[in-house]
Amino acid sequence: MNWTLAIPEIVLSCCGMAILLYGVLSRGNAFFMSSMLSVGALLLTGVLVLSTDAGSGFFGLFITDAFSAYIKLTILVAAALSIVMALGYAEHANMQRFEFPVLILLCSVGMLVMASASSLMTLYMGIELMSLSIYVLAAFARDDLRSSEAGLKYFVLGALASGLLLYGISLVYGFAGSMSFDALGAALADPKKVSAGLVTGIVFIVAGLAFKISAVPFHMWTPDVYEGAPTPVTAFMGTAPKVAAMALLVRSLAGPFSDLLGQWQQLIILVSIASMLLGSLAAIGQSNIKRLMAYSSIGHMGYALIGLAAGTPAGIRGVLIYLVTYVFMNSGTFACIIAMRRRGRAVEGIADLGGLSKTDPGLALALAIFMFSMAGIPPFSGFWGKYFIFSAAVAQGMWPIAVIGVLTSVIGAYYYVRIIKVMYFDNAEPAFDARPASLSFVAAASCIFTTFFFLFPAPLVAAADAAARALLG
Amino acid sequence: MIDFLFNTTLGFFILTLLKAFALLVPLLMCVAYLTYAERKVLGAMQMRKGPNVVGPFGLFQPFADAIKMLMKETIIPSGANPVLFLLAPMLTFGLAMIAWAVIPVNDGWAIADINVGVLYLFAISSLGVYGVIISGWASNSKYPFLGALRSAAQMVSYEVSMGFVMVCVLLCVGSLNLNKIVMAQQTIWFCIPLFPMFVIFFISTLAETNRAPFDIPEGESEIVAGFFLEYSAMAFALFFLGEYANMILMASMTTILFLGGWLPPFGIPTPSWMGPIWFILKDCVVLFFFLWTRATFPRYRYDQLMRLGWKVFLPFSLFYLVLVAGVLLAFGWLPHAA
Amino acid sequence: MIAALAFYLFAAILIGSAVMVVTARNPVHSVLFLILGFFNAAALFLLAGAEFLAMILVIVYVGAVAVLFLFVVMMLDINFAQMREGFQRYAPVGATVGAMLLLELGIVLGGWKFAPDAANFRFAPRIAELENTAHLGQLLYTDYILLFQLSGLVLLVAMIGAIVLTLRDRGPSRRQIIARQIARKASETMVMVDAPIGTGVGAADYLHPIPEAAEKPDTHEHAHAGHGGH
Repeated sequence: MNWTLAIPEIVLSCCGMAILLYGVLSRGNAFFMSSMLSVGALLLTGVLVLSTDAGSGFFGLFITDAFSAYIKLTILVAAALSIVMALGYAEHANMQRFEFPVLILLCSVGMLVMASASSLMTLYMGIELMSLSIYVLAAFARDDLRSSEAGLKYFVLGALASGLLLYGISLVYGFAGSMSFDALGAALADPKKVSAGLVTGIVFIVAGLAFKISAVPFHMWTPDVYEGAPTPVTAFMGTAPKVAAMALLVRSLAGPFSDLLGQWQQLIILVSIASMLLGSLAAIGQSNIKRLMAYSSIGHMGYALIGLAAGTPAGIRGVLIYLVTYVFMNSGTFACIIAMRRRGRAVEGIADLGGLSKTDPGLALALAIFMFSMAGIPPFSGFWGKYFIFSAAVAQGMWPIAVIGVLTSVIGAYYYVRIIKVMYFDNAEPAFDARPASLSFVAAASCIFTTFFFLFPAPLVAAADAAARALLG
Repeated sequence: MIDFLFNTTLGFFILTLLKAFALLVPLLMCVAYLTYAERKVLGAMQMRKGPNVVGPFGLFQPFADAIKMLMKETIIPSGANPVLFLLAPMLTFGLAMIAWAVIPVNDGWAIADINVGVLYLFAISSLGVYGVIISGWASNSKYPFLGALRSAAQMVSYEVSMGFVMVCVLLCVGSLNLNKIVMAQQTIWFCIPLFPMFVIFFISTLAETNRAPFDIPEGESEIVAGFFLEYSAMAFALFFLGEYANMILMASMTTILFLGGWLPPFGIPTPSWMGPIWFILKDCVVLFFFLWTRATFPRYRYDQLMRLGWKVFLPFSLFYLVLVAGVLLAFGWLPHAA
Repeated sequence: MIAALAFYLFAAILIGSAVMVVTARNPVHSVLFLILGFFNAAALFLLAGAEFLAMILVIVYVGAVAVLFLFVVMMLDINFAQMREGFQRYAPVGATVGAMLLLELGIVLGGWKFAPDAANFRFAPRIAELENTAHLGQLLYTDYILLFQLSGLVLLVAMIGAIVLTLRDRGPSRRQIIARQIARKASETMVMVDAPIGTGVGAADYLHPIPEAAEKPDTHEHAHAGHGGH
């Protein structure tokens, strides 16, 4: 059975339950302590992930390899950053509750399971655990109408996506006779045996996963939910779950369905192009920075999908590197957004950033770096992420999609640079409130990674390379 | 004739019908006399005589009551939903009857000896709440509705701990078959090693059957008669019969799960035809406890009832379940341990 | 023969009640038809030889879930005429989408063929000598223990979510403290006074409660711990 492979997940869920107990039994507000404990639990899990062997356990339901380890570490880092950020999301009614870090921990368990899924059932359970936690987190500020709306909207649409996914799984099971990735791979090795039902099933599975990474045409929920959810939750939703769902998409398509490349490649290309276009075009008109980030994330997922569509180890490597750079850029940006508070009230308009360079040069510089990086301007990490992906696509002869990617990057650069322009050249708005140390920490850490990635890319690239090879052999 | 009954499909149907008949007629007699027994026992405990006019010692009282009920007019309130209004008592009564299909009164003496007997009983007893809810809603009247809501919450709550109790027993037996459950108690009745579960089960059965001190769904001093306030004549009689048949059913379940069913106490060697007699005797003891409880305890308040179910019984039975499983595992007593 | 007849009977009632669930005017009737549907599904399970699933379906869905459904539907005062207002307007769109889905499914089913190798991959080959229940237990608690535990976590998250989103601390309300009630002795609260025969009890003290010694309800103890922050 080899259950020891799942020790990181087991430890993390036990920690989550222990912190929950601590929170329930402690008198007074346990938010700060349980957040700290949660960060500790995430770090501990990270260490355990690093020391877990590669192998397959639980009768083929669970697999650990370099790929899962890479994804898990990314997820853990993203989750830890979100918890730290939430510490600085001061005094919003109802947000300072110990259940918040606990839910993020349990959500992380779901994502870790997703990273290690080697059966369609494990995949589904992981997704459900992750999604259910996020539904609750999105509605966490329950007295805020927008937050409740976000939670409900996400829940209803998410349930629909789960339904699609399950329907796809059942079709695949019916037509291929198995849910385990190994057996599926063996059964589908001969493309002649592939029936229309099976392809329909794969399409449904891709649709369900595309909802989770908010790729077009399953992106409708994203702007509303991003805007309505409390900002730390938005930051979390924008990073770790995207990584986990993308990992799952990569693992299932490049794993059991790899011999059906011809069947799903066009689909991924189509989704990718649509996401890039919508992400860059629709973001132009936004005045709310959280909505803007929603469209930006849609676009970024589009870029990441190019690497998957290439279907080569180099492409997968590109996706993996892209995801890590994306996590840091996004966390950093959201740390800056959470810091946008005036007289104790959060402000979210882009215009509110006016003249930030004069009132708070540090914050302005950090945000500028993130924006440049998101736009893909060298030497920031965002550029390198795009570089690896586009070069993998070009190596496969997929010129058109690479060109579209570059063009949409240029369009996207417009609205990223517009924020920089507002910060540096517009009239100064009143200064923001002093920001908590936790936000400065997250912003600074992300900033350092984003800026200096080009100096030391080797460890990350090597790890991503090993992970991609573990998947595609 | 024998050949026809046992070897043809039609014969099988007829045989089953005959069996059901042979079980249900005595059962209904028991129900009738349970009402009599209740009044006599309560009378004795309150130092009065109870029914003593109709027949010797009032023995014909149940029949007098039955005739009275039959003669009365069935009133359907004008605002009520007539179909559901009449469906509810039939449902209550019918469920109380069909549960008996799996009860073995002696080794192998059950109409249907199925593999999942306990689950069947549990399923049927969990359906009992529908009779109450539907009657409360269909009456289109305040008090019945309140009674129905109370009852729904109460029965669902207590089913949870009842389920855990059953799982404890199942762990010890290794089967869901009622016959096997009784046979597993040949060395010791489960009421001894599982005594706390036995107590919880008994109290939960009181709540399941809406008996005092958990009779708040009908609590006559607060919501008049609760869910059957609007019922009269035969419709009311059906509820009444159903309630008492359910009491006997729950007593039988207690007997089977904890008191060794038809097995004689202390392993006294008795001929096998004595089985049903032991069974009935044990039932009577449990039923006496039902009546005794009613005579002794005042009615629970609603929040106390919920607290008891969710905050006391549920955690405790869960804990005991883990304990039982742990003990069985540690000492290697698990049935089917492979 | 009888099994086939029973199958068609149950299947027909199942479909009929499913249709009624969506079309019934009264929501309570809808739920009752839903329950009828559950029953027939359970009967179909029985016919397929899955007696454990059949019973669990009745216990869980009919005995618990549908009760709560019914409970909620009865409590809510839903104006269904109002809810159906948009029905006419959106019916054509819905019908078109439905028809297209049906067409697609038809095309898929038209190309239906089981993968020839499918039988080799059967997850749960039936072991003849094991009972249905034991077999399911084996699968759930041994082969799929990971998924079982994950489902547990999902339920835990659901529970946390329900509490986080709905539980409101009522503040310093006086609640019943059972332990204190039980620990209280008669001698602490009552004074027994002899009432001699023939004289009756005097107007003043024959049995009176001791005035409560400035005993304030310990509200903090009962405020839901950890929610003190709001």
